[in-house]
Amino acid sequence: MANSVETLAAGQALPPRAWRVPPLARLTLQFARRKPLGAIGGVIVLALLIMAVFADRIAPHAYDESIPAARSKPPSAQFWMGTDNLSRDVWSRVVYGARISVTVGFATVALATIMATAIGVSSAYLGGAYDLAVQRVVDAWMSFPALVVILSLMAALGPGLPNLIFALSIIGAASASRVIRGATLSVMASPYVEAARALGAGHVRIVIFYVLPNVMATVIILATIGLGTVILAESGLSFLGFGVPPPYPSWGAMLSGSGRSYMYYAPWMALFPAAAISMAVFGFNMLGDALRDVLDPRLRGSGRSPSGL
Amino acid sequence: MRNYVLRRLLVAVPSLLIASLIVFTLPRLIPGDVVQLMLQEKAYGKDLEDLRAKLGLNRPIPVQYVDWLAAVARGNLGESLWTRQPVLNELARRLPVTAILGVMALGVAILIGIPVGVVSAMRPDGLVDFVARSGAILGLSVPAFVTAILVTLLPAIWWGWTPRARFVEFSSGPVAYGLQFVLPAIILGIASAAGIMRLTRGMLLEVLRQDYVRTAWAKGLRGRVVVLKHALKNALIPVMTVLGLQVAAITGGAVIIEWIFGIPGMGQFLVDAIVQRDYPVIQGINLVIVTVIVVTNLTVDLVYAVLDPRIRY
Amino acid sequence: MDSAPSNQGVSRRTALKVGAGALALGVAGLGRAPECAEAQTPKRGGVLRLTFQADPVHFDPHQTISFVTMVPLSFVYSRLVKVKAGPAVKPMTYPIEPDLAESWTQPNDTTYVFKLRRGVRWHPKPPVNGRELTAADVKYTYERFLTIAGNPNKPVLEYVDKIEAVDKYTVKFTLKEPNAWFLDLLASTSTWIIAKECVEKFGDLKKVESVVGTGPWMLERWEPNVRLSYVRNPNYFVSGLPYADGVDVLIDKDPASRLATWLSGKSDFGPEYQHAVRWLDAPVARQRKPGLQTAEYTWLTSGAIGFKLANPPFNDLRVRRALGRATNVAEVFESLAFSQGHWTPNPIVPAAFAEWSIPIDQLGPEGRKLYEFNTAEAKKLLAEAGHPNGFKTAVEAPAAVYGPDFDDFVQIIIKNWKAAGIESDLKLKEYGAFISSTIFGKFDGMFIGLRGAWADPEAYFYRWYMPGQPLNVWGVNDPKLTDMIKLQRRTFDVAKRKQVIYDIQRYVADQGLFGPDGSIRILSAWDAHIKNYGPNNGFDYGGRLMAAWIDK
Repeated sequence: MANSVETLAAGQALPPRAWRVPPLARLTLQFARRKPLGAIGGVIVLALLIMAVFADRIAPHAYDESIPAARSKPPSAQFWMGTDNLSRDVWSRVVYGARISVTVGFATVALATIMATAIGVSSAYLGGAYDLAVQRVVDAWMSFPALVVILSLMAALGPGLPNLIFALSIIGAASASRVIRGATLSVMASPYVEAARALGAGHVRIVIFYVLPNVMATVIILATIGLGTVILAESGLSFLGFGVPPPYPSWGAMLSGSGRSYMYYAPWMALFPAAAISMAVFGFNMLGDALRDVLDPRLRGSGRSPSGL
Repeated sequence: MRNYVLRRLLVAVPSLLIASLIVFTLPRLIPGDVVQLMLQEKAYGKDLEDLRAKLGLNRPIPVQYVDWLAAVARGNLGESLWTRQPVLNELARRLPVTAILGVMALGVAILIGIPVGVVSAMRPDGLVDFVARSGAILGLSVPAFVTAILVTLLPAIWWGWTPRARFVEFSSGPVAYGLQFVLPAIILGIASAAGIMRLTRGMLLEVLRQDYVRTAWAKGLRGRVVVLKHALKNALIPVMTVLGLQVAAITGGAVIIEWIFGIPGMGQFLVDAIVQRDYPVIQGINLVIVTVIVVTNLTVDLVYAVLDPRIRY
Repeated sequence: MDSAPSNQGVSRRTALKVGAGALALGVAGLGRAPECAEAQTPKRGGVLRLTFQADPVHFDPHQTISFVTMVPLSFVYSRLVKVKAGPAVKPMTYPIEPDLAESWTQPNDTTYVFKLRRGVRWHPKPPVNGRELTAADVKYTYERFLTIAGNPNKPVLEYVDKIEAVDKYTVKFTLKEPNAWFLDLLASTSTWIIAKECVEKFGDLKKVESVVGTGPWMLERWEPNVRLSYVRNPNYFVSGLPYADGVDVLIDKDPASRLATWLSGKSDFGPEYQHAVRWLDAPVARQRKPGLQTAEYTWLTSGAIGFKLANPPFNDLRVRRALGRATNVAEVFESLAFSQGHWTPNPIVPAAFAEWSIPIDQLGPEGRKLYEFNTAEAKKLLAEAGHPNGFKTAVEAPAAVYGPDFDDFVQIIIKNWKAAGIESDLKLKEYGAFISSTIFGKFDGMFIGLRGAWADPEAYFYRWYMPGQPLNVWGVNDPKLTDMIKLQRRTFDVAKRKQVIYDIQRYVADQGLFGPDGSIRILSAWDAHIKNYGPNNGFDYGGRLMAAWIDK
């Protein structure tokens, strides 16, 4: 890592270097030893992904299955996390909820990343009036508190999973595009890109082979932490009634729906989804932090370039 | 320096204008005619049109936008479609309340976030760091309303007491007024504290690697002096840029906290207005929020420019 | 609901001449009368504190039907007649007694003459400043009621032809056609008498300063999101009332928070609408509040399932019947936090109208079967109708606005239907969108919502099934039904009218025009130190509290 004093501008990436595929196993172990918290995060994320993908095998019941004579039962050997007031198995719903959270999270982050990358890279690359105009719109957009935008969008679009994903991704895209723009700017200023241009490389080639790979680290880190944020945001939205609609068992909906009514009488209905949310957010954030430490120690971005322009 | 300031101010204007456009159109995208809503289940054909005309909603949208913008420039934010109360009056009542909650939450976030971040950075990956970071993440990952509900309901069931009571007006006693914000502000601030803590830690870690810090150590200065005097100042600069975002985040989180603790701030007002399609109210609140945030960001940028001698445009 | 006893021999005219409220027949098995109703000496003083779940939208009773406005207004306004209140009144019965009118007569089918009390004074607040109420006020009020643009309450009085102030204390109503419900409708809570000066000064009655009435309390202050506070009206026309010096209504949207407020002694009445406490919370409440007084009765709110008769497959009677048999209403009420299994089934006229709602076992055989959950039977009916594998339908419902209980209700219903082969494509709509489109018929397939906003039993079949009514989204145009509905409106004799209405309910159930559904039997609760109070359905909180006192 370079030791020279450099501008502490958030959002700048490492100088670009040639891109090699490192041996994965050795890297993973090194990572685990140096960053134990990150490793724990990684394990949690892995468990989450397994739960999401293999939900059908792991969950003993369907998420909307009413089990006869099993209303509001406390945790037991038969029902690990108890049952809810509609006689459904909470453990099964938590497992399927992982699928929902992972789907919403990944879809949102993917969509946001695509939008942010498109906006950020194009804005930085094309520069000029386009850059100025786009940044003004992004500025305006970022001035809105996320909740206000999401509420308005959800009210406009109506409840539904795709609408939720779209609304959540719009929020993330704005601030992420700033960071990516900053990263692109510094990549473009590097001697490698200058050399490539001197050699006659076209714009598309430069973007694909130089800009994107070096911005990727930024993107990965933003995405990982963004996943945690999305899950949290969804639970807040469920409280206000704008989250994942029933019957999908999102953790947020379990927590803020009947789980809330029964909080004192059948706390397992709310506490297990709450714990699931906490674990997921914890895992994603720890992993993201560790990745950030490892991949790019200079990237402590909040998403705002100090120049503001 | 002056050029930078001027340029920065100039840039803020189109942002605000674009924001106002968004503010105006966003609520109108929402389906559901406000007039039909007002009449709920019993709308009669002719009455709908009468009411619409009475409320001025039958004019073309661009006309309404320009009218609204002109009125705003004169300081008139319009009247609520439902209650006929002037929007400005309502905002004047509620804005201070949300502002106090927000400022106190931000204060909590800074008071917790920065010291913990500093300690965490001084011994990275050690036990304190581990505990601090885990605690921070847990603090931000437990949804605020869970904590809030537990804090208000359980004492009532166990001991017949609840912290949540009727909201006390400022005129009834400034101390009581201030105290009722403490608990909600803490719950609201903890999530932001986590973000600030991690950022402080990251920034400080990075600064501590710099040459000039090494120089200070080589000079024989004690660790703590080095950290506090030299490194922290520089590390805090980017933290400030985060404040702008935190203001936005806290404004959003305030909605839920206000709901549960019965604090008559802008959050609740806004959610109701959205559900009821009260366009003037939605626009008024959004405009105020957006302006506050734009101004905050602008201030932060300017302060940043003053503090960091390397930023010169 | 008429208050005259239903002896066959007493002529309608005589009964109406009496005018004063007599108790309704004690119908067995309805709403247990409240516990603890000893005669005591009333104590003056103190402030009644209650919690309420929303702010009023505004204060103009001619511009909204919402209970969030009507309940706060019930403390400050009066009308010609009101529903009798007090511990002696069985909940779910609605006997009428004089309010501003001292007595009334009905010279013929379409004319009513009311004699107002003398010396009724408006609140001593500007711009009315305590002057006397006269017939001119009544005339003004109802003319505004009928002519103002956008009055969603208009159907309550739309059959009124003209209102005349015969002299200072006499008002005459002439109806376009006979309506046996006129007095009951006058007693509903949108028919308050308002003051001309307020409308002239403020333009309308939406602002809080324009709330000037003749009721037991005066609205002192409204702090939005926080509270409404009322003080005693020193000139209230019933001397001695109200006993309480004031009323403090705490506005709190969060149910857990309202419960905490009540349990910690900061309010005197149960936290939910009509002072109900959720059955889930009832044991804790009883434990925290020794001497708690309660009453159990069925409230008015119930689910509403709608579809369009013209659209297949609902045009087939067998499909409609299958829908009913496929629905397990009992399961719904067992699962909800609020009800925990306490419920009453509803025919088209909700059970909360004890005198008019037909007991389920008196329905015809097909009608009764609707309330017998049987998935196999449902499948059989569907197969007979040509749907051996069931069918798929869009279902619209509002999202999250009615609370998690409603969401659970929707989920259970859909699950029941699925078991019988009816696949629901659930389209959740945001509340505003739902109200402005689905309620008016802009939907395909079915919708699930709530009903319970109307204070008179007739509305529940009139608004839905009379051809031409805006809420007749079903598209019902059945001459036999239309005739019955018209007939009951003209039948002044209570017993005969009841028979017609029973016939209507049987017919509607038989034709599968109304799915099986129920209402919660709520537990209404109030603290031990509140005396002389009896709960009931309806928005008239003020009317029920004016004679209550605090004994601490």
